[in-house]
Amino acid sequence: MKFKRHQKQSFIIDSANAFTSGRISKRDFLKKMGVAGVGISAYSAGMLGTSRSFFGNVAHAQENTTPEEVANFLREAGKPYAGATIRYTSEATPPTNVLNELKSEFTALTGINVEIEIVPLEQVLAKATQDVQGQLGTYDIYYLDQAWTSTFSPDTIDPLEYYDANPDLAMPNFDFEDFSKPLVEGICEYNGKWIGLPFDIPIFTMLYRADIFEKHGLEVPTDYEAFTKVAEFITEAEKENNIYGTGLQAKSGHYSLECDWTQAVWGHGGSIFGADKNFSGNDAEGVEGLEWYMNLLNSAPASSVTSTWDGQWQMGASGQVAMMQSWAELFPGWNADDSEVKGLWEVAKPLQGPASLRSRDNVGFGEIPNWGHQGGSSIALSRYSKNIEASWLFLQWACSKDIMTRCTLAGGFAPMRNSSYEDPRIIERKELRGAGTTRHLDTVKWTIDNAMASEPDLPIWAGVANNEIPTELGKLLTGQDYDGNAKKCMDQVAKLVDAVVDEAELG
Amino acid sequence: MAAQAKSGGLPRWLTSEHPLPWLFPVTSLLIVFGLYPVLYSLWLSFYKRNPATRTEKFLPSFNWNKLIGDDRVWDAVQVTFTYAVIALSIQLVLGMLIALLLDSDRKGFGVFRALMTLPLVVPPAVTGMMFLLMYDSSFGVISNSLYALNLLSPDKPILGTGSTALWGVIVADVWQWTPFMVLIMLAGLRALPREPFEAASIDGASSIQSFFFLTLPMMSKIIALAVLVRGIDLFRIFDYVKVMTDSGPGTATETLTAYAGTVYFKSANFSYASTVALATLILVLVVSTVFIKIFKIRF
Repeated sequence: MKFKRHQKQSFIIDSANAFTSGRISKRDFLKKMGVAGVGISAYSAGMLGTSRSFFGNVAHAQENTTPEEVANFLREAGKPYAGATIRYTSEATPPTNVLNELKSEFTALTGINVEIEIVPLEQVLAKATQDVQGQLGTYDIYYLDQAWTSTFSPDTIDPLEYYDANPDLAMPNFDFEDFSKPLVEGICEYNGKWIGLPFDIPIFTMLYRADIFEKHGLEVPTDYEAFTKVAEFITEAEKENNIYGTGLQAKSGHYSLECDWTQAVWGHGGSIFGADKNFSGNDAEGVEGLEWYMNLLNSAPASSVTSTWDGQWQMGASGQVAMMQSWAELFPGWNADDSEVKGLWEVAKPLQGPASLRSRDNVGFGEIPNWGHQGGSSIALSRYSKNIEASWLFLQWACSKDIMTRCTLAGGFAPMRNSSYEDPRIIERKELRGAGTTRHLDTVKWTIDNAMASEPDLPIWAGVANNEIPTELGKLLTGQDYDGNAKKCMDQVAKLVDAVVDEAELG
Repeated sequence: MAAQAKSGGLPRWLTSEHPLPWLFPVTSLLIVFGLYPVLYSLWLSFYKRNPATRTEKFLPSFNWNKLIGDDRVWDAVQVTFTYAVIALSIQLVLGMLIALLLDSDRKGFGVFRALMTLPLVVPPAVTGMMFLLMYDSSFGVISNSLYALNLLSPDKPILGTGSTALWGVIVADVWQWTPFMVLIMLAGLRALPREPFEAASIDGASSIQSFFFLTLPMMSKIIALAVLVRGIDLFRIFDYVKVMTDSGPGTATETLTAYAGTVYFKSANFSYASTVALATLILVLVVSTVFIKIFKIRF
């Protein structure tokens, strides 16, 4: 409770500062105060929807280090578009939150206004879907989760082509080669086309409380069997302290549950689709993975079945759980200055084995089974935008070396560009055990380069991953159907998914 | 000729003396925002959409056949009926009870009656959010009270458990919409003539007898109207479900409109979503028509 109170106070102070400095309106300020009166934890869980929590410090990125050459380019290139307003809608991911704070620098250079509408992920999908259906151009830029890459591929402009075709609008030294290759392939490439620029890379790693492991003399688990044993041990040993072995993002019908499930299947040697393009989550490996996951519910807080990644972050922040295999992006927030678990969480490589991964030849739709599920996203230029040129300038600025590095400095999340990892400011902070730490980034980079897994690329995947799969999994996990029988559930999912694939004539 | 001359050459149906010009604005709005979307949905429902290629093929029976064979639709019908019947029954009984309590000219009762309007001005999505917080298993006042009373186990979050999630949503609906029933009932109660009650009182009828043999029969039309209006609302419930459970856990709280929303926004299958929405409309029309016939409601 003490932690929540502290968070609430910090929130109130931050909001008051934002109001007095003119960053938020009186109305927004009053709204925030009303919410603070109800409960800060619920604020991030509810009002912000299912956002990934950001408790970094934007002050770390406030020093304007935009190279003069880039600043001059933006001043000149932006002149014809001064006064234009570009809009995009995004989830409250850490980089988006930082960008929202820094965007005034772009406006100061170009005169182009930027409105970022921050909503929960499922609403981002709904809004983008409506926009492309009507080809409305309401949003100039789309924030696209990796699961939607193929879905929105026809609606975006290839940034490589646009860069080459419009030399007057091409930012000097933008350096496309600097983007991490695995990220480009996994997040924003589809059928040889870049649908946008990589912007965010949450990726599964092992996250654990070093103090609890030390207390019980535990080894950090490196495979799925060991993970279960350690989770069960901690749950039993820490019963009196109300600490669970692990926490899950198992909200029924939500994409977060689909992500957890996917990793469990891959980790047990299974895959979502077989080479015959039929759903294969119901084969022996798939069922074994799901059974492993179901068993973890016994070592996790009951709220796991109503939690997404945000709830999982809360579990870690409130000291309710001792380890989880989840997004590395959760880590920086636990190291914030006002965190009660500051410096206590550590990062390790994702679980590997004992099963072997299924080879890429034996899966369908470009799926990449591996140990580290990636949930990256890109930002893309809408084909229907009425401000394509202005939006392109913003996109380049947002994904430039300077801004991307500063986003990492502010939030501690993984950079998209290789050069950011070599930036002295990033390296310097590896020693930190508090706010602004980058000590997790070596593990994150290793996972990206060596163990990054990606979901299938098929145009209907956004629907399947957000609807059929997590809904049926929710029925199983909450006992609504299937009598706890994982195989029965997976057979039903197979029936539903194969029908959708057939209906879309993709089988 | 005389009429045309009088109105400056305009035909009579275009003059202020004719009802048509007065009806025109609202009729236009109804056509644009009511009729057109329904017709467009109907048109969409006759096409098979391929979300992968974003192409449509004219296959008039495809979506309707799919609807009939879709287990989720039938589950949603069941949830919709359960939700509507339970919520409506509670709201009706509570509404009448509170209205009877507030039907008084004593000092201060006017304030209570005015307070009844407060929940009605809160947007349903905000109400959903409010209850979401109160149900939170860590700090929610409702959950923690139920834990303290041993009425609920902390292992079973209200909105995360199939057997309690629908009740959780219904409570939010009841909190917000019971005052609506109260206000309608109050209006009805205060319009009832005094004489029959005085006569019954002289004949020695108890309050309960007066209520069942006088109040209820005389209020029947008003009650029927209130049930009809709320019933239609309840059949197309969306906000609370979306905000509080997003149809979960599983499909335990998935109503027809929520399912249509899922098909539309998550699967981008606009034609099938339109079919589900139209099926909801047809269901509402059938149920309300039967209800109107049975209770002989006249507008």
